[in-house]
Amino acid sequence: MTRFRPFRRFPSVEIAWQNLGRNRVRTGLATLGIIIGVVAIVSLGMAGAAIQQQANTNLGSLTSDVIVSSGADSDQDGITDGQVDDIRSVVVDADVVPQKSNATTLSTRSGESVRVSVTGVSQADALYETSAGEAPERLRSGALLSADTAEELGLELGDPVEYDGTLYRLRGFIESDDGFGPGGDELVLPLSALSEQEYYDTVTVVAADGDAATSIADTLEAEFNDEDEEILSVRSFAGAQEDINSFLGTLNLALLGIGLISLVVASVAILNIMLMSTIERRGEIGVLRAVGIRRGEVLRMILAEAAFLGIIGGIIGAILSLGTGLVLFEVLAGDATLVFGWESSRYLLYGFGFAVFASVVSGLYPAWKAANDPPVEALRG
Amino acid sequence: MAQAVNVIELGGVVKRYRSGQNVVEALKGVDFHARHGEMVTIIGPSGSGKSTMLNLIGLLDTPTEGSVYLDGTDVTDFTGDELTEERRSKLGFVFQAFHLLPMLTAVENVELPSRWDTSVDRRDRAIDLLERVGLGDRLDHTPEELSGGQKQRVAIARSLINEPDVVLADEPTGNLDQDTSRTILEELTRLKEEEDVAIVAVTHDEQLLEYTDRVVELVDGRIQS
Repeated sequence: MTRFRPFRRFPSVEIAWQNLGRNRVRTGLATLGIIIGVVAIVSLGMAGAAIQQQANTNLGSLTSDVIVSSGADSDQDGITDGQVDDIRSVVVDADVVPQKSNATTLSTRSGESVRVSVTGVSQADALYETSAGEAPERLRSGALLSADTAEELGLELGDPVEYDGTLYRLRGFIESDDGFGPGGDELVLPLSALSEQEYYDTVTVVAADGDAATSIADTLEAEFNDEDEEILSVRSFAGAQEDINSFLGTLNLALLGIGLISLVVASVAILNIMLMSTIERRGEIGVLRAVGIRRGEVLRMILAEAAFLGIIGGIIGAILSLGTGLVLFEVLAGDATLVFGWESSRYLLYGFGFAVFASVVSGLYPAWKAANDPPVEALRG
Repeated sequence: MAQAVNVIELGGVVKRYRSGQNVVEALKGVDFHARHGEMVTIIGPSGSGKSTMLNLIGLLDTPTEGSVYLDGTDVTDFTGDELTEERRSKLGFVFQAFHLLPMLTAVENVELPSRWDTSVDRRDRAIDLLERVGLGDRLDHTPEELSGGQKQRVAIARSLINEPDVVLADEPTGNLDQDTSRTILEELTRLKEEEDVAIVAVTHDEQLLEYTDRVVELVDGRIQS
């Protein structure tokens, strides 16, 4: 006799809930449409987020770097110590790393040899990440070598490499970058190893992010160059990142658009189902109106039915989408738990919200029609 | 017992419908009244305007001319929403096809008209009414688990839940066999006296006339006297 009645105080909602149980097949089909719409929206949105995340990881440090080299109108073939100091005085909140470059051939006793580019740098840790060993903050002795090159030559940590008649011990292996970053075979030595080169070949300014890199590049351009004279050549890849981000944004919108279409289709299905169900129950709604149920109460009842379809479909859809998202992030970004980040989990909220919204909007017309049907007409059938 | 006041009254009521090109005059000046504790039956051939008259008495429709009084109040010019309030508080309905909600139990169906008024809990009255029509052991049965006669008894209990002044019965025995009809009519008569309501019925059923206090015959939109 005493049953659990959570909607006791809201009779329209309670009756609506009981109505859903009347034709389970129809309720199930309506809900299924919503579920498909939600899964489409959420998983496409999450796919976009995963692609973006993966792109950002890959582009990585490249886009936050500003590369400065000697300009076309420079008096000397390189960057002087004075210019490095000038750059340091202009740039705030970023590492300024001067480098000298050369090339050499490394060979082993077994006769294998590899042509490598040589970089002389002091602040090795600002530019390189190591897969083994360490990249010291101040590289004074020892060397870093690309991990691939070391493997090719059979070199291990602590082994000596020779450059310009001097031996350097390998202190770390540089992680090979699968993005656009400086890659290939590279030997990193202390600046002193390239001391016969008077000037620096490049100065890398390592900014916090792409936006900071862009503003640093603009500052340097303004400080050293004018329309006629290019003393320093300043390059930044942040623009490329912006382009890529804007492309990914467009891609994301397109994916969401496809998802939205499926939700629109689902809400048309709900409209159809609610309309059929109110036409079928016309006499019954007429009885409700005859016994004194107000128009607003009938309207709320039908709207509540539609909202329930949206809520049930939205919840099931969100749960299924979360599963899809876990798989997507595992495959695209290599880490399934990233799906819980706001960037992707917000699509669960959007998907659920759209489902409820679309369902209620679809219920409006059938509800209005049912509520305003004159009871005499409705009772006649 | 019966009071001398007319609980429902029609005065010079004319009802015209537009049916395609033609205007049909369903009621051509009808006077009618019913008192508390009185059962009045409207009879007449098909198309005589019986249903139209019942709809007007039931405040489901408004007259083209004339006036409708409920409990001494002129409700002729009430808006649709005001009429809904009057139906809710003062009228009850029993239909030929029962019109119970299939997903609700007997007691929930009886309670239905009072369900939206959350200030009162009519559950006890619903149970009481069902017990009085002999369905005390069928409270939690859904309509499909009930026979036709039982369904109509649930409908009668529903019509009384809000303690109405008038119960309108449209062919209440139309879907029932003779024996069942007899018991239903006996219930109805007893409740009419217990609850002191006026019952206005429309029927073709001769049997119903045995239980009625007064018969009004309608022919071609006019009352025969």
